[in-house]
Amino acid sequence: MPQAIAWGFLTNQKNMKTAILGMALAILLFSACNSGIKDTGDTDKSNDTRQTGSTTKTVEALSPTKRIVTEYLSLKNALTKDDDKTAAQTGKSLVEAISAVDKASLSTEQSKVFTDIADDAKEHAEHIGANAGNIKHQREHFETLSQEIYDLVKSGGSPSQKLYYDNCPMYNNGKGGNWLSETKEIQNPYLGKGMPTCGSIKEELN
Amino acid sequence: MVRVRHGLFLLAGVLVFIQFIRPASNISMKDYPADISRIYPMEGKIKGILRNSCYDCHSNNTNYPWYSQIQPSGWWLASHIKKGKEELNFNEFGSYSFRRQQSKLKAISNTIKDGTMPISSYTMIHKNARLSKAEQDLILNWIEETKDNLSKK
Repeated sequence: MPQAIAWGFLTNQKNMKTAILGMALAILLFSACNSGIKDTGDTDKSNDTRQTGSTTKTVEALSPTKRIVTEYLSLKNALTKDDDKTAAQTGKSLVEAISAVDKASLSTEQSKVFTDIADDAKEHAEHIGANAGNIKHQREHFETLSQEIYDLVKSGGSPSQKLYYDNCPMYNNGKGGNWLSETKEIQNPYLGKGMPTCGSIKEELN
Repeated sequence: MVRVRHGLFLLAGVLVFIQFIRPASNISMKDYPADISRIYPMEGKIKGILRNSCYDCHSNNTNYPWYSQIQPSGWWLASHIKKGKEELNFNEFGSYSFRRQQSKLKAISNTIKDGTMPISSYTMIHKNARLSKAEQDLILNWIEETKDNLSKK
């Protein structure tokens, strides 16, 4: 009986075509399932690239690491507005900014700090970029990232830019969290709109 | 009726065919000097928990279940393991930069607290990989101690 089916199946040209087509489809389907898990942060690209695109071009020439700080600040501002999608977008720009740095153009001290933070900061930025829809997770990564960007700025990563190192004592069940800001008034990226002015200035930089 | 029969036959054919496309196994007999247990002191119990609940996806050696031999579930596992190792490979922990090690410890702690790790699709089948409250605390405390020691350095 099975041979009969096989024979009929092979002799009928029309069926043959559908068979091949079906098989191709099935394989496609399986491979699609296999690689289907990708981040979904891309959807709002058109909205968000405008702001980041313009700022990056102008600062790039000034200092190799300044673009990193600029992207970091855009990320911080997105988080203060509870805007996970823009945060994801700026996270991706931050990855690019870190990758674009040419270590040879840095001073020895800067190069040391940059090497120290680069791979980890990049990973945090990647995760922020991939986690639109999960702002809590974005903020977890932002916390460690902030420490790293702070060290970068301390080593002269963004010369002649006035920055404030702020602290929110309430974040993470009272463990607290720090961040860098370009404005003197507190805008809290950890608690967002829920508690926008929680926190105080720990240190003034540059 | 004939069409249905052809359809079933086709499906069976495809299922047989895909069995021959096998992903490479994540098994290696090498020695790992950078393994987390050699970098940071930990008691045998913690080592055991990590091996049992984490190493299948976060090391260079997977203890494969029977269904990994059947496609497409083997493919699905392979993609999981690939992603898991990219995120965190306990066998190569010592080769990460100091900052990355600290971040990873923090991330392990966070994911255990949130219950996102071990991932539910894994614990659904590997019931013994689930972490009891006591096991969770054991690991969380160990991470806190290790992180404190690190920041003192």
